Amino acid sequence: MKKFLFKRAISSAISLLLLIVAVFFLSRLTGDPTDLYLPVDASQEARDNFRAINGLDQPLIVQFGRYVWDVLHLDFGDSIRRARPALEVVIEAFAWTLQLALITMFLVSLAAIILGSLAAFKVGGFFDRIATFFSLIGAAAPDFWVAIVAIVIFSLGLGWLPTSGTGTPLHWILPIAVLFIRPFGLILQVVRGSMINALSSAYVKTARAKGVTPKKQVFVHALRNGMLPVITVIGDQAAGMLNGAVIVETIFGFPGVGKLMIDSILQRDFSVILAAIMVTAIAIFLMNILIDLAYAALDPRIRY
Amino acid sequence: MNCRATLLGGATLLALSAPAFAADTDVIIALNEELETVEPCMASQSNIGRVILQNISETLTELNTEDGSLMPRLAESWEDMGNGTWRFHLRPGVSFSDGSAFDAADVKHSIERTVSPDLTCEIGAKFFGGMTLTTAVVDDATIDITSDPAQPILPLLFSTLTIVPSETPMEFTRQPIGTGPYVLSEWNAGQNIILDRRDDYWGEAPVVTKATYLFRTDDAVRAAMVPAGEADIVPLINQNDATNPATDFAYPNSETTYLRLDSSKAPLNDIRIREAMNLAVDREAFLGTLVPADATLATHMTPPTALGADVDLGVPPYDPDRARALIEEAKAAGVPVDTEITLIGRLGNYPNVTEVLEALQQMFADVGLNVKLEMVEVAEWVEHYSKPFAAGDKPAMVSAMHDNNRGDPVFSMYFKYACDGLQSGICDEELDKLIADATAATGDARAEAWRAAFQKAHDLWADIFLFHMVGFSRVSERLDFKPTIATNSELQLSQIKFK
Repeated sequence: MKKFLFKRAISSAISLLLLIVAVFFLSRLTGDPTDLYLPVDASQEARDNFRAINGLDQPLIVQFGRYVWDVLHLDFGDSIRRARPALEVVIEAFAWTLQLALITMFLVSLAAIILGSLAAFKVGGFFDRIATFFSLIGAAAPDFWVAIVAIVIFSLGLGWLPTSGTGTPLHWILPIAVLFIRPFGLILQVVRGSMINALSSAYVKTARAKGVTPKKQVFVHALRNGMLPVITVIGDQAAGMLNGAVIVETIFGFPGVGKLMIDSILQRDFSVILAAIMVTAIAIFLMNILIDLAYAALDPRIRY
Repeated sequence: MNCRATLLGGATLLALSAPAFAADTDVIIALNEELETVEPCMASQSNIGRVILQNISETLTELNTEDGSLMPRLAESWEDMGNGTWRFHLRPGVSFSDGSAFDAADVKHSIERTVSPDLTCEIGAKFFGGMTLTTAVVDDATIDITSDPAQPILPLLFSTLTIVPSETPMEFTRQPIGTGPYVLSEWNAGQNIILDRRDDYWGEAPVVTKATYLFRTDDAVRAAMVPAGEADIVPLINQNDATNPATDFAYPNSETTYLRLDSSKAPLNDIRIREAMNLAVDREAFLGTLVPADATLATHMTPPTALGADVDLGVPPYDPDRARALIEEAKAAGVPVDTEITLIGRLGNYPNVTEVLEALQQMFADVGLNVKLEMVEVAEWVEHYSKPFAAGDKPAMVSAMHDNNRGDPVFSMYFKYACDGLQSGICDEELDKLIADATAATGDARAEAWRAAFQKAHDLWADIFLFHMVGFSRVSERLDFKPTIATNSELQLSQIKFK
């Protein structure tokens, strides 16, 4: 196990390094932040001064060398726009995204596994048809549309929930509900398909012949074996959320890392872009390790 | 037990969800983007200005946007001492929110800080570029400020420079201290900013006791916050959302939309082509369709209230036949009228900008010009807008929106029309001289000099002017507040009353 973790850490570190090199140079290809930061009427002297202060007057390779040196000393640079350490800005935003992703993915996984399993138990039955119908609609519904419609109904129409913001638990309901719909539809379908296979396997038929209750057939015998592909899809969906739920963050005014990344790219705030990519990449690396461990826990044949 | 637990959980949720007790005199303001900094020397940026300007940080003078006059604020009076020096007599009995007294040393430090090359403050770069300021403290309540070259409008420029205590470090601050009627109580990054009213403010105590600023990027959500009771003022809503006459107000936002022609490249270097392009545009057709009906047709770079902008230049008539004739005339004279001209637009510059530019492209095509539209992001657009123009040797025009809310054309004319102006598409010696003369003139002669400069730019058909734009705000019916041209850059809480 230790060897496996070590290998994964090394391969992830190499990937991370390549990612940083690529993002560093690609982001600088978009141009100089000076024109975006200073007013359009700013003098050439002010522009030159801004470039010098932020090290933008140096050759690209020198800027890269300085960046790598600083990162090795755990200095990720300052946000040009915010005049604050970039890492501090990113961690602040990532904390919001992480909470949103964890809560949403927990609820999605729980609901999709239970309902998908029940749908698979009687394929073509009433419950299966209803679950499939709504999950397909959910998987196809565009986030921004669902979000706006939800605000119109639950905030403006019924007045039950706030339109946006982060102040109270009620503020979390609409963003989580909107984020919930699409992965729920997708994971429910994967659970259903995987469970149909598992429930038709010989060991479940044997259990059924032995008189095991339907509940036990589904949730004890079939579920564990049907979980491997489901874990993969859950991991994929969670990775997407850890990168930020840009649309939901924008509409509901959630100060998450997705919107921060988009804004930083548009503003050419290079330090923030790199810090955000690094933080989210590390989070995804850790999550992939957890998924690998979950595989081993679910399937005794998998050993690292 | 389960029932009790459920009830307890529900009660807890409700208790947590209930908004904190808000006084009737508290207001909530929803801004369209999060503040990245609360640094006073960046208060010329709209959203930072709406929080800080004259609420936390005050200026020596204040522009009356209704009549263009200059009012005292932290300076009670000022006088021209000659040779570029102005003497400011400061208001006595003023203190900062940290308790320290306001004096001339604070003004001196604020100036040095704003123009310091180590800080790259926007106010310094925008209003004090190209001049050297020196200060001489006469006494605690008097300061002489000298500019080189001399600035006849120096007192007006000081309506932009925010005053901070002399102890403020030479780096961006996250805890602004000012002399204004409010103090920054909380800044929860990404969530809100809260200002509380000061009890020891030197002036009349405002009615609003507390202001909470929220940040919502989405137009529809921001607009929905007023009817949902979650906000009292939304300074900027989309024109399509401005449907309720009781809460929604259009106000002139000091922005002027225009197409900047690069007259150094053929065929735009031919005055007949520039005139033809002006005559090809049916400006009236846009009003009430793609552009708000409250917008007005523009004839020059500044809002009509600016000094000298009262000159009647006349909106170019929509005359496609005359435009075609001019183009034919130019063609006969050897002007390459078939050359492709790129029209560069900025995505999201103003509502419906893409549709407006598509319509303009069609209008130019109708008179026989070959115009290609390119919509680009702001970063790329800036490279086309400012010199050296990114289009290189190719003829291009740039769709832009210029803001001048300071009442004097000096903030516009040099940059937009002088040969060395950073965004100037024209170079004309006579116009250069007129701008220089107007910049140096004072009193009535200044207005007259600007009129002459406006007339010359018009005679050269230097640009294609489109509209003096309007913005839309939504204001809760419980407030007695009407947005004005100033709302584009500041939102003085002291001007908000309750019905």
